[in-house]
Amino acid sequence: MAKTFHLEIIATDRVFYQGECEHLVITAIDGLLGILAGHEPLVTCLPTGELKYMVDGKWKYAAISEGFIQVMPDSSIILADSCELPEEIDIKRAEEARQRAEEKLRQKQSIREYYQTQAALNRAMNRLKISQKHFK
Amino acid sequence: MPNMREIRERISSIQQILKITNAMYLMSSSKLKKARKSLEATEPYFYKLQSTIESVLEHTPHTRQLFFDRRTDIPEEKRKKGYIVITADKGLCGSYNHNIMKYTEQELAKAPSPENCYLFVMGQVGRMHFQNSIRKGNAAALDAEFLYTTQNPTLYRAMEIAELVLKKFSEHKLDEVYLIYTNMINSNVQENKTVQLLPFSRRHFGKAADGTMKKLPKASFVPSPEKVMEYLIPQYAKGIIYGAMVEAFCCEQQSRMTAMDAATNSAKDMIKDLSLLYNRARQAAITQEITEVCGGAASLQE
Repeated sequence: MAKTFHLEIIATDRVFYQGECEHLVITAIDGLLGILAGHEPLVTCLPTGELKYMVDGKWKYAAISEGFIQVMPDSSIILADSCELPEEIDIKRAEEARQRAEEKLRQKQSIREYYQTQAALNRAMNRLKISQKHFK
Repeated sequence: MPNMREIRERISSIQQILKITNAMYLMSSSKLKKARKSLEATEPYFYKLQSTIESVLEHTPHTRQLFFDRRTDIPEEKRKKGYIVITADKGLCGSYNHNIMKYTEQELAKAPSPENCYLFVMGQVGRMHFQNSIRKGNAAALDAEFLYTTQNPTLYRAMEIAELVLKKFSEHKLDEVYLIYTNMINSNVQENKTVQLLPFSRRHFGKAADGTMKKLPKASFVPSPEKVMEYLIPQYAKGIIYGAMVEAFCCEQQSRMTAMDAATNSAKDMIKDLSLLYNRARQAAITQEITEVCGGAASLQE
């Protein structure tokens, strides 16, 4: 049994996961980052992306949108806007959100609106991707 | 002795109002349930966010980050202060609105120069109130385009507000930003609270409610402290505003429920008193009629 560390994933609307974890892989702003027990203290940001963590030798996947992580040798905390398991993702809703965002991107918008739409599109795409990848 | 018809009309009008307040009570209690649920779901995030940011900041090397800039070169009376105030969209919720507006006015009075205060009011009632007070010569400026409802708080709305104030701060249109909202201590006690949002300072992070403060030895920031802070601060502002919105919404429903409950009860009391009065008046009328009939009969006999 591999050494474990305490992992907390907290989304704005619920506590997503709280418990021991052997291995955590996150998408940070500059690429993938693997975290094992005893990792050096670290703070970084997480854009919308994928997250996987290993519990009892099994990988678990989740779709995460915007947050940050604080890593300490014996524990890690992820705080994010939202976090969902692949099977929880509402594909229809994500698909609708994607179409809405794409529609909006075709129209003239202010820069701020443009970024917001792009972020929304990102989230929708991420959800679709993860649910297609891990949940069929 | 009051007129019987008058009393009857009064009773029926009170009954109508009783129906309304009772319906509002039921509605607000079901809304409160929902708001409570979302508050409970958000609380872990809200507290964790504060404690985590606090411990992160303790290990942040001193950065020349924009949002940390205290702008000490600007004298106190020239500092532009922004206040985000969360009020309700509707009245009829006891002293909830009154309290938060009075508290805001006290806060404004503390500022050395009211003409440099900018109000960002969420909720219709607060906005109307401050619009009126500006017309009467209260010097604080109200952002007229800041139109946000406080019903069913969403993360998206919090993000828009956070972006707006951060933008104003970075453009030097604001030097300090405060958030004023109602905090729920328990279901009976509510407290108005001010939180300083910007500039970011290390000391305004009070201890989080759960008291988890983990010491982080020297942490590394990937890719760089500046980059991380640039990302973290909007995230933090958004989280805090969202948490405050959820908390305030819950308080609003709570006070509306209490107020409507009290109104229903006093309406019931009034009906009770009035029906007593009505019965008495009716009895008096009957007695009088009998006396008259008896008197009439007696005079006929004679």
